[in-house]
Amino acid sequence: MARILIRFNEDQVSEPIASQIIIEYKVPMAILSAHINSKGGEILAEVPDTILEKVVNAFRQRGVSVTVPKLIEVDSDKCFSCGSCIALCPVEAISLAKDCSVEFDKEKCLGSTCSVCVDACPTRAIKSIKQNNSDSANREKKS
Amino acid sequence: MKKLVESSGVEVAFKEVDVVTTGTFGAMCSSGAVVNLGHSDPPIKIEHAWMNDVEVCHPGAAVDLFIGATNMSEKQPYEYGGGHVIQDLVAGKEVELRATSYGTDCYPRTALKTIITKEDLNQFYLLNFRNCYQRYNCAVNSSDETIYTYMSKLLPRFRNATFSGAGELNPLMNDPDYETMGMGTRIFLGGGQGYIIGEGTQHSPKNLNGTLMVKGDAKKMSPEFLQGGAFTGYGTSMYVGLGVPIPILNEGLAKKTAIQDKDILTDIIDYSVPRRDRPKFGQVSYKELKSGSITVNGKKVRVSSLSSLKMAKKVSQTLKSWIDEGTFFLTSPVERLSTTTIFKPMRQSEEIPFVYNVMHKAVTCTEDEEIQAIAKRIVTKSVNHIVVVDEVGRLLGIVTSWDVTRAMAEGKKALADIESHNVFTAKPDEPLEIASKRMAQHNISALPVIDIEKKVLGIVTSEDVSELLGR
Repeated sequence: MARILIRFNEDQVSEPIASQIIIEYKVPMAILSAHINSKGGEILAEVPDTILEKVVNAFRQRGVSVTVPKLIEVDSDKCFSCGSCIALCPVEAISLAKDCSVEFDKEKCLGSTCSVCVDACPTRAIKSIKQNNSDSANREKKS
Repeated sequence: MKKLVESSGVEVAFKEVDVVTTGTFGAMCSSGAVVNLGHSDPPIKIEHAWMNDVEVCHPGAAVDLFIGATNMSEKQPYEYGGGHVIQDLVAGKEVELRATSYGTDCYPRTALKTIITKEDLNQFYLLNFRNCYQRYNCAVNSSDETIYTYMSKLLPRFRNATFSGAGELNPLMNDPDYETMGMGTRIFLGGGQGYIIGEGTQHSPKNLNGTLMVKGDAKKMSPEFLQGGAFTGYGTSMYVGLGVPIPILNEGLAKKTAIQDKDILTDIIDYSVPRRDRPKFGQVSYKELKSGSITVNGKKVRVSSLSSLKMAKKVSQTLKSWIDEGTFFLTSPVERLSTTTIFKPMRQSEEIPFVYNVMHKAVTCTEDEEIQAIAKRIVTKSVNHIVVVDEVGRLLGIVTSWDVTRAMAEGKKALADIESHNVFTAKPDEPLEIASKRMAQHNISALPVIDIEKKVLGIVTSEDVSELLGR
């Protein structure tokens, strides 16, 4: 599965673009989080690798921005593995390793759409990355 | 030791093990540092002082200061505080000192600004008056809102739990009768060597809540084991690494140091109740706490630690390596920690009002009543709020005189059209100040008072509050 961040602008929100693509490509897209209103919005979704390229192209053909988001940054110099964040995470992306180090699963993390752990870190080691449109769309191709 | 006692028994363990090292690394708010600055020219008798914009105390004569770990920066409150200042000094960083004074004949100077590092200080002692709690509570939140506490962020309706402490690795837990600990015991403190100088404040040995007062030369400590911490909505603190070596003087100590997480129990406490005695939801062992989930009220709740077990292990292992290398020598205490001290609550000569002091009977209605009837009741009872209840008196909603007026203006007839279901409430034993804050925060003028089953016990209004305060 690959994670993509789909961003709609003001003109696109009135169209059922995501639904059309889901039906057309029969893609079992798991929506992890979505924030959309009349001014635009974003969907964080998971798509099977086999169909990823087609889905990304379909969105882009309709003028919708698709990026592979970097969702979280953890400063390992600041983190001393207290674990305050672990039980807060709604998707269990944070866990304690065998040596009691706190580990972040960046594949599971919901990033700025969630951020529940960020203000609970006593050393402010966690940063959820706010996505913006200048994020290179080419990053998609590298993955 | 734990494994050895289990596999070979206490007798063998006593013969084979000389010392058990322990360790903990957690937020210890009652920490701080004493610094002596030396005299400026012309000299100043400091009255107020700030280090990196964190106000520090002036407990002594002219140039002695105490940096309290929880004092917050005036420019970055909740993010940077005394604990961070201490960490920065320990790390060798430059710290800005500002001071003011009223000026005297012998100390004429009235203002001072300078940059200092730890090398510039005559003395820089860590002096922590309560560290190393033997065990600590597990915190949960039963309310409908996220709360920010010194036990970190607690999500509503038991969606997470937090705990603190190293459990079986905790120094005091391994010597619960304090046979080897007391004034003069040399310890690992903040990455350097320090001493226990007595029982900590709030020491409560009979409840297995012993604490330590400790001191050490902060110039020789490490910023890895002394770190500032920020608790959103609560304030700043300092994480302290502390380890105590326990000489195995007898078989009893061999047995005691074999203590395991499963044997250490602590209370699950509801931090949403803003009282000294908060409701408890039973007990839980450190083994369960470290497993990542516990059961509260029959519900599975994910739990995580606020103190670092990884760092606690590092403390005890570092201490062990120092002893092995011959750079750390054990001492015998000159006076053991008390096993009888009692921790008393505060004597309060002035009572504060609680919700039950001012609440009065609520005027109620049921959902099948017509607006006309409710309007009449508002007039005859001369109230502004009607509480909607079910047949057994449980809260369903609230209707205000304004809602009724609006219904008349808009021609609405059904109660359902005007009733608010999202009702903010109060509990009878809440301090009135907290209930009053809730009203102000949500811009409302009354709170139905309910019990745990949501039965309406009464109502408290903003008029009740102002009447009481106006007296």
